[in-house]
Formats: sequence, structure tokens, C-alpha cells
Amino acid sequence: MADLSLTGGQGAVDPAWLNFARSQPAATAETPRRRRKLGPGRPIPYGAALGPALLLILWSIGSATGFIDDRILSAPWTVATTGWELIQDGRLQENLWTSFQRSFWGLFWGIVAGALLGVIAGLSRIGEYLVDGPIQIKRAIPALALIPLLMLWFGIGEGMKVLTIALITFAPIYIQTHDGLRSTDARFIELAETLDLSNGQFLRHVVLPAALPGFLLGLRFGVTYSWLALVVVEQVNATSGLGYMINLARTYGQTEVIILCLAVYAALGLSSDWLVRFITRKALPWRKILAD
Amino acid sequence: MAQDSGRLNQPPVVEVRGLTRRYGERTIIDGVDLDIGRGEFVALLGRSGSGKSTFLRALAGLDHGVPGSGRLGTPDAVSVVFQDARLLPWKSVVDNVSLGLKGQTPRERALHALAEVELTARARAWPMQLSGGEQQRAALARSLVREPELLLLDEPFGALDALTRLRMQALLLDLCARHRPAVLLVTHDVDEAIHLAQRVLVLDQGRFIVDLKVELPAEAGPRQRRFAEVRSELLSSLGVTQEELRRVA
Repeated sequence: MADLSLTGGQGAVDPAWLNFARSQPAATAETPRRRRKLGPGRPIPYGAALGPALLLILWSIGSATGFIDDRILSAPWTVATTGWELIQDGRLQENLWTSFQRSFWGLFWGIVAGALLGVIAGLSRIGEYLVDGPIQIKRAIPALALIPLLMLWFGIGEGMKVLTIALITFAPIYIQTHDGLRSTDARFIELAETLDLSNGQFLRHVVLPAALPGFLLGLRFGVTYSWLALVVVEQVNATSGLGYMINLARTYGQTEVIILCLAVYAALGLSSDWLVRFITRKALPWRKILAD
Repeated sequence: MAQDSGRLNQPPVVEVRGLTRRYGERTIIDGVDLDIGRGEFVALLGRSGSGKSTFLRALAGLDHGVPGSGRLGTPDAVSVVFQDARLLPWKSVVDNVSLGLKGQTPRERALHALAEVELTARARAWPMQLSGGEQQRAALARSLVREPELLLLDEPFGALDALTRLRMQALLLDLCARHRPAVLLVTHDVDEAIHLAQRVLVLDQGRFIVDLKVELPAEAGPRQRRFAEVRSELLSSLGVTQEELRRVA
């Protein structure tokens, strides 16, 4: 009975008090009073590049003035020319390609396993009881601690590297998919019941679309983890790849190569994260409205 | 009346006998009986927590695992409209309406239903792009396209602003006149109940304490008198005192 309380509220206002409020002089008409705006202020175009650019400038000045020792941190232009040389003799592309393949296949199997197990655990009780426990135990063991065992089982070849990356990336995808499936809005489940949806229709139109944002969030974590895992496996035992390049450079004291590889890692991490966000935008068009 | 005698010959659409529902120690619905005839519009009033939603959910078959007993005769084609429109955000409006629709040309029928609620222009929009009133209109289209014999409305206009609510009420009356489903409208708005329904029930402590036919006359004067009479009776049965009534209404 909303209108009851509304009329009651209006009746309660004392007219004398109202008159008193009106008799107060209003703010002078020529300079209408504006409140000071709170908050972080207006966004600047390309403002996000400001911080990294400043860092690059400080680095350049430091190197040019000799304030930064070349053996500690090579100058930006040394890194750039080294990069150019490594591209020209093909070593950078070759190692990058090897690393990319490891990361890609590791992530691929991680996605397949994570999504599959997530769906099994998310859709059936028995599945959850069988699958969720072992995965939680596996999650409690640091991935790096598994490497010695994996090396004993699978040697130090490509299989072991891909498997390690897959083991590390599947966890967040599993967790987010499982969670997305399990937290399907109870209101939508009720709706599906009133619409007499079959099990298949319920899955296709309600459960899976509801779990998709969770899966994509898991994918974003998984992609980030795949580069992390790559660094780990390539620095343990490798004869090719970006991690191997870094290890070799450390042996010869080539900081410029190390910096270059780090820059490549950064570029890979940022661009793959961007790619997943792009896929997310395409896969969830109904969400874009919120951002606009 | 001719209409009533005609209805007597047909079996009721809803036939509830001795329905009881419990939550723990509390008996929410206490052995109630109810018949709703074909095309009859019934409003169910009650204070918060009086069990009116529990009753509606029992009719909708949504009260899994709530202990209780009684006989519940409902038709196969039952549609529910909730207070929130409950449109799937990842489906366009027309896909929401046609979701799970059986039979031929579901999409055409969905578009036709959207035309009935004057939402053709928004058929391809995402639900989140619609206003609250438009969302509820889409929900109405979704329930009516299934040609229900029984339409259950659980405070469908509760979240709408007063102006939108008025227009939705008029639209609902039009649609019900055209499709003639039996309707059970759960609401806490006494005026809404009198305006829309032919018959108003009041649920209190698990039982129907009021069951009255509204029967508003067509002429303005008698109509207003009858309206005030029904309103006063319903409000007092809901626990509003004469003193409170005099002060605000």
C-alpha cells in the first residue's frame, strides 16, 4: 500500500516550517552556486600510456647519463638493436615459435580438461563428488612441486612441458566453469520449470549460457597462467624457447637479451589478455549494453 | 446470472481441496478449498507472509519439497508471470518469448504475441535495454503465447511506477478479455484487485477469510459507491482500522 504512506507523509509536513524555508534568500542569481565535483577527474585520451612512457624516459635518461650501469640494466637502444639482430638471424622467431606452441598446446588441453571436468562436476552430483575432491587436493599442491614427479614420469621432452602447462591452466578454468554452472540463478531455473523446458533445452538455453561468463573469466586466468607455466618449464630444462634464451643470456651476462625476452613476455601476456577480452565481448554481446 | 449458470455446466479449471502447506512448524496454507471457473479473474489479497505466494507456487507446481497434503487439480497449460520479468539476459526479447514453445512456427507466434503487447519494435532488443514496464510486457507475451488455461500472476506490477502500473493493468484486462484464461492474481494492492478481478479472496493465517464477488455496476455513481464498499470491507479484513481508513483514504 505505497500510496497510503505517501499521503500520510505529505499530511505530516508542517506548513509553517515550509513558509520559513521559502523565506530564506536563494543563492544570488548571477553566480549560481555549483558544488565542487568529487571523484578522480576526467579521463585523458591515451592516459594509460603515461606511466609506462615515463618509466621508459627515466630508463633512457639513466642509461644515457651513465647513472644506470650497462651490466645491471642495458640501455633501451641496446635492447632494441639486439632485438633487431636476433630477428634478422632468426633466433628470436624460432624460440618464440617453440614457446608459443608449448603454451598453446598446454592451454588447449587445459581448456579441454577444465571445461570438461567443470561441466561434469557442475551438472551432476555424482560427478561433483568424484571430480571435485581430487581437483581440490591437486590445487592445494603447488604446481612447481609436481615437476620432479612429472620429469620422472614423462622425461624432459615436449610432452612433459605441455602437460605441466595444461595442469596449471586447467584449474582456474575448471573452478570458474563449475562455479558458473552451479550458481545458475534459481529464478531462471524456476522459469525453465514453468515453461516446461526439457532437460536438453534447459541445458542449452539456460545453464550453459549462464555458465559462459564464468568459463570466459576462467579462460582469462588460464591464459595468464599459461605464460607463467611456460617460464617455469623452460627454465627447468630446455634447449629452446624464450626461457632457454634467458638462461643462456644469464650465463654470458647479456642483460640486453634478458630484457628483450622479458619485453616479449610482456607483449605476449598483454596481447593474449586483450584477445580473451575481445572474445568475451563477442561471446557475450548482451553484456556490452552495461558498459555503454 | 446467465454467465454463472453457463459456468456451472463446465468443470472448474482449478479445483483445490483441503490444500495444506507447511514450513517447519508453521502451517502456511491450512486446508483450503478453491474453484476457479473458466475465464474467471480471481485476485488473492493478504498481508505480507500470509502465504499468498506459497499458494500461488503450489498451483504453479513450483513448491518442490514443501511438505503438505490436499488435492490440487490444475490444467496442463499453466503460465506464470513473476514480479520480476525474468527474461534471460542472453536471449533477445523475441527468443525469450518463444523459448520452449511447442508446435508450429514458434517465432511467428512469439512475434504475434509481442505485437499484442505493443512490443514489436523491441523484438530484437536485449532484455536489459527495455524499461521495467516493457520487460513485464514481454513476460506477459511469453505467458500468453502458450495459450494458458490458467494464468498465475505473482504481484506482476509490484515493481513498476504508478503510471506504468496503470497502463499495464489496462493491457492485462484487454489481453484477458481476448484470451479468456482463468486468472489468479496475487497482489497486496486492494484497488488493483477490485479494478481487475471479478472475485477477490483474502488469505489470513492459512485460510480464505473473505471470498466476495466485486460486481461493479456500469453507472458512475453506483460504481463508486460499490467500489468504496468493497474497498472498505477488504481493507478492514486486512487489518486496517476504521480510524486509519478515515485519516488517509
